[in-house]
Amino acid sequence: MNPVYTPLRKLSESIKNREVSPVELAETFLERLETHGPPLNAVVTLTKERAIKQAKRAEEEIKKGKAKGPLHGVPWGGKDLLATAGIPMTWGAAPLRDQVFDYDATVVKKLEDAGAVLLAKLAMIELAGGMGYRQPNASFTGPCATPWSQGHWSGGSSSGSGAAVGAGLVPFAIGSETWGSILSPANNCGVSGLRPTYGRVSRHGAMALSWTLDKLGPLCQTADCCGIVLEAIAGHDPKDQTTSKRPYRYALKRDGLRVAVPKGVTDGVAEPVSRNFDEAMRAVGRFAEVEEIEFPEFPYEAVTRTILNAEAASAFDEFTEQGLARGLTAPECRYGPYARTAVLAKDYLKALRLRERMARIAEDVMEQYDAVAAPSRGTTVPEIDKEFRKVTPGTTRDIMGALGNGAGLPAISVPSGFDGNGLPTGIQFMGRAYGENGVLSVAVEYQSRTEWHTVHPAKFTP
Amino acid sequence: MDSEEAEILFSLVKEKYGDKITDEELDEVKKAVERIVETSMELRKVELGNWDEPFSVFKPYRRDEE
Repeated sequence: MNPVYTPLRKLSESIKNREVSPVELAETFLERLETHGPPLNAVVTLTKERAIKQAKRAEEEIKKGKAKGPLHGVPWGGKDLLATAGIPMTWGAAPLRDQVFDYDATVVKKLEDAGAVLLAKLAMIELAGGMGYRQPNASFTGPCATPWSQGHWSGGSSSGSGAAVGAGLVPFAIGSETWGSILSPANNCGVSGLRPTYGRVSRHGAMALSWTLDKLGPLCQTADCCGIVLEAIAGHDPKDQTTSKRPYRYALKRDGLRVAVPKGVTDGVAEPVSRNFDEAMRAVGRFAEVEEIEFPEFPYEAVTRTILNAEAASAFDEFTEQGLARGLTAPECRYGPYARTAVLAKDYLKALRLRERMARIAEDVMEQYDAVAAPSRGTTVPEIDKEFRKVTPGTTRDIMGALGNGAGLPAISVPSGFDGNGLPTGIQFMGRAYGENGVLSVAVEYQSRTEWHTVHPAKFTP
Repeated sequence: MDSEEAEILFSLVKEKYGDKITDEELDEVKKAVERIVETSMELRKVELGNWDEPFSVFKPYRRDEE
């Protein structure tokens, strides 16, 4: 049994049936991380000792017939902003490369309780992009490449989480999203990435960029795998007051799926992305009712941008005051934190007041649908050595990103095909608050009718 | 965009952090402050009622109610 690129459901079954052991799995993926991680700049720290210990424990438990569930014995990697006791957590930033915490983040604990095996802390954009990076080279571990091309970017800020899953270096990874940081690497690395509803997953022990926007979520081979991981990490946590008390069980809806497409959603979008989106929607139309919708005019981006700027200014106040930004990698990040100290309190509060109106707009427009579909990104995968603004002239609006993150809505990005250079494109399905099962139902059904998620980069395929 | 407001806010930033940034970087910071003011202007255009509260609720804390 070759575990690389094997979806979680099948991998779990092989572990349960003892066709493959957790220790063998840990060793296989650790070796892949050691070999392929460095050229991609995808790995910060291997957690070998902890991994072998966890894998041996899982193996013993399974031998004794004490199987815990679908993640028991399954290796994973975490974005290097999740606290892991005694192991460095760098937040991707050179000035913090020796930072060590003495506790585990709740998500790390939950995965340990589920029997999963932590293999590595994965690369990320410095401070999760909170300093306003404009290029892939914005991490002390170097620019992270997509497994599809050494010359193109993995996406960010959960760069290593996307690249490691895309290259088959871990079966799944955890990333975080404030605005685009799970969907972008999922898109660029050709994997499935789920941004849960705000408050669905505890952020205790994770770096804060913007307290009311940050979410943690999985990046996996398939949408189905994302549902499995979400069920393991979701839930109320007294250590994170924003977590919801609504229980989460991953369950798919098979019939009566309804998908909406915002009017003009491909305006200004790169041609290959738009073409693949149209093709994907034809596939969606074969199993779901598809309708066009329109979001009313509203300053979506201004609301979410103002909240992000103000909260990041406060979250990194000490970092900024101590002048630590000078040690960051991207030149623009070295002065990035200063301008946002100029956001006025009244404007931040206005944004928070408008947020309720924005959330109501989302509910009014999306209530009848399981998902709203759009291209995951408006552009093709950027080159690794160029500034974003130079490769993507002009600005396209990101209403889906602003509304989705500002209102705390779940979304998943899954592969929708390739561009002329063989680089992946993605389609996103965004749902109502707590509507993860709706977006997962659409994405799982879409993947059961398409094969993009089963195509892997030849260089990494064993 | 209100260029006077942007100028005033930029002066504050420059006064507070000018010693941490180069002249070239200051130009970039100025542009960023202008973008922030522009964004704020978009928000200010939307009228709200006095009763429209921020979408976050403060809850007084007691350990036994965690």
